[in-house]
Amino acid sequence: MNTKPLRIALTKGRLEKDTVGLLEKIGFDCTAVREKGRKLILPIKDANAEVVLAKANDVITYVEHGVCDLGVVGKDTIMEMQGKFFEMVDLGFGRCKFALAVKKGNDFYSGFGVKTVATKYPNITRRFFEAKGMDVEIIKIEGSVELAPLLELADGIVDIVETGTTLKENGLEVYEDVCPISARLIVNTVSLKLRQKEIEELVGLIVKNL
Amino acid sequence: MKRYDLITPEGTRDLLFEECKARREVENKLTGLFSGLGYSEVVTPGIEFYDVFSGSSRNFMQENLYKMTDSKGRLIVMRPDSTIPIARLVATRLKDAQLPLRLFYSQSVYQNNALLKGKTDENVMAGIELIGGRNSKRADYEVLCTAVTALSEFDRENFRLELGHIGYFKELVAKLDVDEGVREDIRMLISTKNYPALNDLLGEVGDNAVTNALKQLPALFGGAEVFDRAEKIYTDDKISRILKDLREEYERLSALGFEGKISVDLGIVSHTAYYTGIVFRGYLSEIGQTVLKGGRYDGLIGEFGQDCTAVGFGINVGAVARHLSRIGEKSELKTPDAIVYGDKGYVVEAISYAQKLVSAGSCVENSLFDTFEETLDYAKDRGIKKVIRVADDITETSVG
Repeated sequence: MNTKPLRIALTKGRLEKDTVGLLEKIGFDCTAVREKGRKLILPIKDANAEVVLAKANDVITYVEHGVCDLGVVGKDTIMEMQGKFFEMVDLGFGRCKFALAVKKGNDFYSGFGVKTVATKYPNITRRFFEAKGMDVEIIKIEGSVELAPLLELADGIVDIVETGTTLKENGLEVYEDVCPISARLIVNTVSLKLRQKEIEELVGLIVKNL
Repeated sequence: MKRYDLITPEGTRDLLFEECKARREVENKLTGLFSGLGYSEVVTPGIEFYDVFSGSSRNFMQENLYKMTDSKGRLIVMRPDSTIPIARLVATRLKDAQLPLRLFYSQSVYQNNALLKGKTDENVMAGIELIGGRNSKRADYEVLCTAVTALSEFDRENFRLELGHIGYFKELVAKLDVDEGVREDIRMLISTKNYPALNDLLGEVGDNAVTNALKQLPALFGGAEVFDRAEKIYTDDKISRILKDLREEYERLSALGFEGKISVDLGIVSHTAYYTGIVFRGYLSEIGQTVLKGGRYDGLIGEFGQDCTAVGFGINVGAVARHLSRIGEKSELKTPDAIVYGDKGYVVEAISYAQKLVSAGSCVENSLFDTFEETLDYAKDRGIKKVIRVADDITETSVG
């Protein structure tokens, strides 16, 4: 019924490279994406599909509105943004975790005072402490969150931890894991139904080549 | 200084001309269809007590409701939905009415969405509620047919009606020996088709026929083959009856000439406390959101004190209208066929002449100018083709 290409939104940067690698492993010709220049919409030859490059949050927005049919985005962004879409495949790459980190040796839960937590992810942080029934003050930081406890603005931070090197170098340590993260394939709820065959085929190929 | 006197709140907007026309046309089509099928219109208040929407099965997040208080300090919300107020109405003023009751509505609902996501907070929804009816299957079929007809009126080729049955999931999940929280997690993961997380969670619960069936539930969507697949995965008396009934509805709808436009998704598992039987959704291509939602809710009216079965659906009129006006014309001011000017002392005659033309079917504007010449200039500017001057006699001047 539809001859329009499937539109796939990719999170720019590392996830984009991993996804292109995956698409090439499947056998699609991603030359246009590799040699993109400044273009933002790129065709994938020999598949009826095109790739849109966007920032993580925008991938979710585009998929939710259905202007892109599929998207590749980190679980961190999904948890922070939420929204209505199908989260169909754990792509396995972009693996890291959310963690609560404090200054080395500090006991975050000690004492009766209200704790202050700095983070780039206020929603995830709020839900994490809400589930514990704990009242914390959350401060949103845009840049290096590790600074906040060092400057004594916060008692701890909730942030993405990959290797833990940045924490270590700044005298911080992981106090508690919040949840693991990896890249996900998300699908618009209407697209999946109206273009079921194409999307299921593509998802099948992706799962097979993980 | 006033900062907000020139703009509308986030999530709302003014509709102009063609947009209004498109919306009105969608509404008229739907209400025409509904009343033709014997449904009677009801209008419920735009504001209601918070309590109406805070019952256990009524899934409204506090933060998504527009709230205020009345003069006695009681909590009021702007209605987020029409079915629940209608259930209240049926259980109270209509409790002695003869069943089945066929009701329809077309009114705005309000939801406080997250900012800056391009969502609308005010949506006109039009829909029907079929209350009672001795044979629920016949009632389901009637409502489903109405839903299909409604969708096909807007886009004959590119619509889809998708059927499911909440009972399939409920029966399966009830067999698991887990607490309510885990059940809710399972439901969430099925409704977002989150296969990996669902597999992990069910893997922890155990490895048996039920968890195996739940793992495959999100994939149970598509055409008639879904029924065969579902039967192979898990059956007991209740589930096989549910599947048989649903397949029957599916076949009867397809038989109306809608082959290929009807599909199945047994993974529709939202509002499980609210829905009790069939659930269905409608899609139009090019609209990235669900435009029609409905299902059977036999428990809701009972929560208001009057046990009664019911099935219904609502269509997002605004979304359909935006879709139609996108494929249709641009937004422009309407140009009348003629303008009528009355000379001094002939104002009454002029306006009655204009009214006569209007009742004969043309679109006529009344001139607000003091002179005929100004009226003529204005008509030229606006592209009005005819100026009618009313004095002792009536003269017509063509413009352009």
